[in-house]
Amino acid sequence: MMMLLHASQITKRFGHRTVLNGLDLDLQPGEVVTIFGPNGAGKTTLIQILSTLIKPTAGTLQIGGIDALAETLRVRPSLGLIVHEPHAYLEFSPYENLQFFGQLYKLDRLEQRIADLLDEVQLTPYAHDPVKIFSRGMIQRFMIAKALIHDPTVLLFDEPFSGLDLAAKQLVLKRIDQERDRGKGIILTTHDTELGYRAGSRFHFLLNGQIETVAEKEDIGLEALSREYEARLKG
Amino acid sequence: MEVFRQIGWLIRKDLALQFRTKDTLALVIVFSVLVVLIFCFAFGPIFPEQMEERGKLAASVLWATFLFAGVITLNRSFDIERANGALHGLRLTGIDASYFYLSKVASIFVFLILLEIIVTPITLQFLDVLAVLPVALQDQLPWLLLKLIGVLAIGTLGFCAVGVIVSGISTHTHGKESLLSVILLPLTFPVIMAGAKCTVSLLTTGGLGGNFWISVLVVYSLVFLASSYLLFEFVVEG
Repeated sequence: MMMLLHASQITKRFGHRTVLNGLDLDLQPGEVVTIFGPNGAGKTTLIQILSTLIKPTAGTLQIGGIDALAETLRVRPSLGLIVHEPHAYLEFSPYENLQFFGQLYKLDRLEQRIADLLDEVQLTPYAHDPVKIFSRGMIQRFMIAKALIHDPTVLLFDEPFSGLDLAAKQLVLKRIDQERDRGKGIILTTHDTELGYRAGSRFHFLLNGQIETVAEKEDIGLEALSREYEARLKG
Repeated sequence: MEVFRQIGWLIRKDLALQFRTKDTLALVIVFSVLVVLIFCFAFGPIFPEQMEERGKLAASVLWATFLFAGVITLNRSFDIERANGALHGLRLTGIDASYFYLSKVASIFVFLILLEIIVTPITLQFLDVLAVLPVALQDQLPWLLLKLIGVLAIGTLGFCAVGVIVSGISTHTHGKESLLSVILLPLTFPVIMAGAKCTVSLLTTGGLGGNFWISVLVVYSLVFLASSYLLFEFVVEG
């Protein structure tokens, strides 16, 4: 089976500071890789590199078998990204944003897809209100719809649960399960061990610029994972 | 065709955002009229009798006003892209950076041309230029104004061609606004100089006074448009 994503020896330096140091990561279809790390561990930098928004100082990145650092424009439409920023125009409504980005992705049956996604993230009543008046949780739900509008094969979620209420967290978890069952690959960063464990199928820690594989889900329970994580943070 | 459709969507998005918020439009119009008024107070109330001197004054006021208004418009337009990572959202669609460049040039060009259509008659009126126009030119006033807008349009295209790439560069730096002005003003100097020369000539003789300055204006605009179109990917992707 072809790997959806293969990152090898990824290094990122900002000036003299090395944020990521020779990091390797793979993603298979139908897999949810959860990366735990404290604030400042480099989770966001890693997601930005995997999404091709920033270039690594060294290393290689293949997405869907294509060299993502050389053929960036070709691989980008296969990526769905949720980060701290909406990556959208807040003066526009969710409908206008999804329509605009959907057009750029050259999507068919766009109207139906927008309606389905807005319904799923429970924003249909607010479809034509400007995003700038939304609460943090509503913006996060809009970001989920935007990340999924083009049905990407690789989903990159950076702290997708932050700012969400319980119902919205359940919605994100449900959608992660659905996408995994459809053979998509998901990389998720979080410092919330409970939600990260619930969503993931393989677990890693990102500490001191290095990624450490912990276990597959069937080999570790939540309590053991939490203990391991706390121990690594202290150690 | 797909290329033109994508550029069209980008232009429509830009214009919708610019006109929906209205603050940029209002700000730039008020700013431009204020600049014109300041010049009028500084040089008035009695302006030079000779048409050539009056023409030079009018050309200076027009080009200085549009230069500063253009810098504000560029800043606001790229602020929208920077805010909330919207530019990253665009990049993730896999769209060619050169389409983004052309759409930005086109949308800012449309915005500035609208401004020029509003502000040019006001400036000519405030400086009392129409009163001292040679009789032969007064008879051809609509045609003269059309030619004037034509020269302003070519100059504006050159300004946008340079301004959008410089704004793109300054997006990745600290002190974005000040850096934009510092780099942009020297780079647009040939456009302003050639545009002002053509404007003076138009207002005093009704013609362009030879082909030299209009050629400088056209060639500079096209060279910057073509080279920036090719280089913009490196500006956006770094």
